[in-house]
Amino acid sequence: MSDSDPPVVLIVEDEPDVAETYNLWLQDEYEVRMAGNGSEALDLLDDDVDVVLLDRMMPGLSGDEVLERIRKSDSDCRVAMVTAVEPDFDILEMGFDSYLTKPIRSQELHETVSNLLERSTYDDLLQQYYSLVEKQATLEATKNSAELAESDEYERLTERVEELKGELSGTLGGVENDEDFIATLRELSNGDEH
Amino acid sequence: MATNTDRSGTMYDLSSVLDVDALESVRPGTSILISGPAMTGKQGLVYDILADGVAAGEGTVILSTGDRAGTIVEEFDEHVATDSFPLAVIDCAGDATASDPEDSDVFVYHASSPGDLTGIGIGITEALETLHDRGVQRGRLSLSSLSTMLTYTDRKTVFKLCHVLSSRLDAADYLGLFTIDASAHDEQTLQVIKQAFDGMIEIREREGVREARVRGLTSEPSEWLEL
Repeated sequence: MSDSDPPVVLIVEDEPDVAETYNLWLQDEYEVRMAGNGSEALDLLDDDVDVVLLDRMMPGLSGDEVLERIRKSDSDCRVAMVTAVEPDFDILEMGFDSYLTKPIRSQELHETVSNLLERSTYDDLLQQYYSLVEKQATLEATKNSAELAESDEYERLTERVEELKGELSGTLGGVENDEDFIATLRELSNGDEH
Repeated sequence: MATNTDRSGTMYDLSSVLDVDALESVRPGTSILISGPAMTGKQGLVYDILADGVAAGEGTVILSTGDRAGTIVEEFDEHVATDSFPLAVIDCAGDATASDPEDSDVFVYHASSPGDLTGIGIGITEALETLHDRGVQRGRLSLSSLSTMLTYTDRKTVFKLCHVLSSRLDAADYLGLFTIDASAHDEQTLQVIKQAFDGMIEIREREGVREARVRGLTSEPSEWLEL
């Protein structure tokens, strides 16, 4: 996702009216793709897709199966499950990033999508932060304090580490609510590479 | 309306456990790394800090990567003067009800292993929720130990885990205490892990005397103090 392009949302929903309603709500802010079933969804999935809204109960490939294939693919998109029944935290253990219970309202849908995008930002920042801390530690381990004091590279790194630390604490993407917190930890244990 | 006096009242004062200026007024949401070689009393210090919170009417969450819930409750009880207090324990030894504490007041959650970060996340979420439902507004959470975590997963994951947990505790106004066995890891690993925390209590042993100092919470590290 580059800065100029709107984020891409893929709606996977077998009821055309429902899918169209979501599309109407989201199309002003996002590039929307629509799939009427699981296999269409997998065809439309590529690196550009940021968020998938996935209906759990569909004829053909079920939502769970589609999720499994998405997770096995290279895509690092976020997947929100759309369900008729309020689920438990178990759903997050299965690999969904969020869930929405039908009937969904416009505001709720917007909040979920932007929350998932924010979580991606948080993960990216955390990854960058780790890389810099790692570099900083390598320099500290290989140079003595006099060498460090003279190193421009070390000075720049230290500044950048502090900057990122501030940015991260300004982004609540990882912990804004319980669901975020658990999903963020789940992803860590999956060893997601970004 | 919070006045200045009220605000200072919400700070965590750990100086009765470790008499250091830097610990007199610790901001809610602070996460502290407790680092020292094996067998230097890190866990004892953690229990003392947690027990100090119990005395102040705060909630306690103990997350252990090695001990069973029953053992943890038994050990911690020895540090606490009160009989009944809001306590939640998360152990990482998988499901087992036989070893659960008999005290039904204690909230217990089992994650399947120290590498089960999702389970740990659910455990912490439910622990905080349970304590909150019992009227606890703030509290202290300990995780022992990051060294075990590091044998289950890599440095990057543990670093990120620490960061995410710290943020979660920050949102809950809790105090976080995380232990690491400094003798079990290389200097670089310690440097990296340290960076995920607001401050650090270092423990060392010299000629049979255990000493501690506090770094990161104030601009200069504190003097070494005998434990």
